Amino acid sequence: MKASSILGLNARATEYSYRYNTKRGKGIAASKSLMARVLKKEGIPTPKIYKKITSPESILKFDWNSLPDSFAVKPSRGLGGRGIIVIKRRARDGNGWVTTTRERVTIEDLNLHALDILEGAYSLSNARDIILIQEYVGRHKAFKKYAYRGTPDIRVIVFNKIPVMAMVRFPTKDSGGRSNLHQGAIGVGVDIATGITTKAIQYSKYIDFKPGTKRKLNGIKIPHWNRILTLAVEGAEVAGLMYGGVDIMIHPEDGPVIIEFNYQPGLQIQLANMAGLRKRLDRVEDLKVIDAEHGLTIAKTIFAGPFSRRVRQEGGIKTISALEEITIKGAHQKKERKKVIAKIDTGAWRTSISQSLAEELGLLNERNVLWTKTVRSSLGKQRRPVISLTFWLAGTKVTTPASVAKRMALKYPVIVGRKNLKGFLVNPHLKVKDVKEARIKSQKDKEK
Amino acid sequence: MKISRIFLLVFILLGLSFSGVSAQASRPTVQPSISPTASPEPTLEPSPVSRVDITQPIEENVGPLEKLLQEQAVGVPLPFNPVKYAIRGAVDSGVPPNTIVLLLLLPLIAAFIAAARHIGGIRGFGIFMPASLSVAFVAIGPILGIVLFVLIVAISTLARMMLRKLRIKLQYLPKMALILWAVVAGVLAILFAAPVINHPDLAGVSIFPVLILVLLAEDFSKVQAGKSARTAISLATETIVLSLTSYIFLTTEYLQRFALLNPEILLLSVLVFDILLGKYIGLRFTEYWRYRKLIKS
Repeated sequence: MKASSILGLNARATEYSYRYNTKRGKGIAASKSLMARVLKKEGIPTPKIYKKITSPESILKFDWNSLPDSFAVKPSRGLGGRGIIVIKRRARDGNGWVTTTRERVTIEDLNLHALDILEGAYSLSNARDIILIQEYVGRHKAFKKYAYRGTPDIRVIVFNKIPVMAMVRFPTKDSGGRSNLHQGAIGVGVDIATGITTKAIQYSKYIDFKPGTKRKLNGIKIPHWNRILTLAVEGAEVAGLMYGGVDIMIHPEDGPVIIEFNYQPGLQIQLANMAGLRKRLDRVEDLKVIDAEHGLTIAKTIFAGPFSRRVRQEGGIKTISALEEITIKGAHQKKERKKVIAKIDTGAWRTSISQSLAEELGLLNERNVLWTKTVRSSLGKQRRPVISLTFWLAGTKVTTPASVAKRMALKYPVIVGRKNLKGFLVNPHLKVKDVKEARIKSQKDKEK
Repeated sequence: MKISRIFLLVFILLGLSFSGVSAQASRPTVQPSISPTASPEPTLEPSPVSRVDITQPIEENVGPLEKLLQEQAVGVPLPFNPVKYAIRGAVDSGVPPNTIVLLLLLPLIAAFIAAARHIGGIRGFGIFMPASLSVAFVAIGPILGIVLFVLIVAISTLARMMLRKLRIKLQYLPKMALILWAVVAGVLAILFAAPVINHPDLAGVSIFPVLILVLLAEDFSKVQAGKSARTAISLATETIVLSLTSYIFLTTEYLQRFALLNPEILLLSVLVFDILLGKYIGLRFTEYWRYRKLIKS
């Protein structure tokens, strides 16, 4: 990978965080109290706020026992997860509570901690802060085996309404139940297209298992994946963050909820995904994205994990013929499928589809068009849409950007390019019978 | 982590042994050691060592620099020599030239520290802390400076750990005040040990460099509480490296002379450098290292 594909601290600040984010967005990202208000107003799920405390007198007056058995005490402007106490249950002997890291806290402890927060012990340059007492978000059952005590969260980096990269963060013994990578939490990259984890890092080093166990960290399927990505995009949009990180937890009952925004999200996510953020951001910078759904289509089409990896999982390299029947996913109904004969063309890079077929399957819908590009051909300059295309080739599902070709005389309605042929061997030998059959079939289709 | 703990322990023991000695030996010597620290007048005799505190307007500093100014032939003030004339005017009316030299070199140091972060990736505690620390090093010498720095860092860490171990829970500002109390006690212990250590640097200690060092304790313990001891120690080490390098810049005679004789060139080139630096958006050296596996793949 080129070094220029990687996003560094210098470029993050000048090229993205400060260039693209409004003052309002940064303000919302810096204050959890403001964030909760904005999200609530827009009806976007976020943990409930039980109580907001702004003055020392109200701390002393506050009855901690009036709260539910589990809750979280947070500074509104805390940095990097500092100053957060998460109460899991009441102590069995009735004296105080027990935190997620199994420490006992009493009312005096909570009062003192609350006073510290007000005094600005956890905020930037000791500015006065306010206290939020929030609903406790427990662990979803999919994560129980992987996280040490705390609740894991999913960090999605959103740029221009497109979820660009994602990572799950598992708290560890080292991190003391917090999901901060600097403190030793594990970061696991997630394939945007499928929501399946790929590579794991701890302290910037690659690891395969949860420390101290033989529990594999790759191949975990994140539940509610589409909902998480949609929520991230919608949240960032509501907050006015064009570039930012959205931290999401999966509430065991309510599903995904937004925990925090970050307008300068950490860069180790690149290591966890084995991918450069700069390159991805460059690719989507100028796209015109209509809404979250469109953003998701784009992300899933162009940021899907390397295809070959999945092939290896499914077992071996497949040999295909130069003409193959493929099944294309249509956009009109949920299960719309169409079988066509495609030409496997190792001379082309990108897969293309004829305009008539794309239209027939409803693939020219504006939410399915990724972008349009200008093509120079023997016919002069043309503007052609590039769409998201999903098809099954020899039993393997492929989602890819495909250019739409206008040529009416296209012999085969789909040409599969090199880009999508990783993991396949192409046998150039064609039986005359096959060619004839294909011709007859395409003729029939045209007549229809 | 283990090494750093041992490191801390050694310095804590060192601090303790100093304080033990001071209990017997300090009393009679307290009086003379206080007066030079409190009075800013350059009345004290220059210490009999080669290192000269260039922050003080004493004869050793002022003499050669004034001579240098007199020796340089300067043309018309405008357009190329306005600062040169201004310097001469100021020096003639009594402004010490060493102050001017240090001030002229300060932007250079700031630019260096900024470059170390934006190109090299060495962070330290911001830009103000290493810069002022380097001036403190110039004033009290790098050895004493580093000893004090490490001592302060060790004491503030220890104080924090003790408070946690003993389960003494205090509010934030009183806690910081308590840590400052411990730090001052440690620094005083070192000063009280002056008769035993008998190092010439100790004799010339003035309040401002020490104050800068003490203020560092807050930055350090904030990072420690917020991020981790690991980050705090690496940041502290980076700060020392940065300020030592800046100290070398400040004390290099060639640079001092260049600053005094060509202030326009120095100021303008630093200005241009700062602007160019601000436009640099490539990866930092440390990032090339951090992402080496990505780049290789």
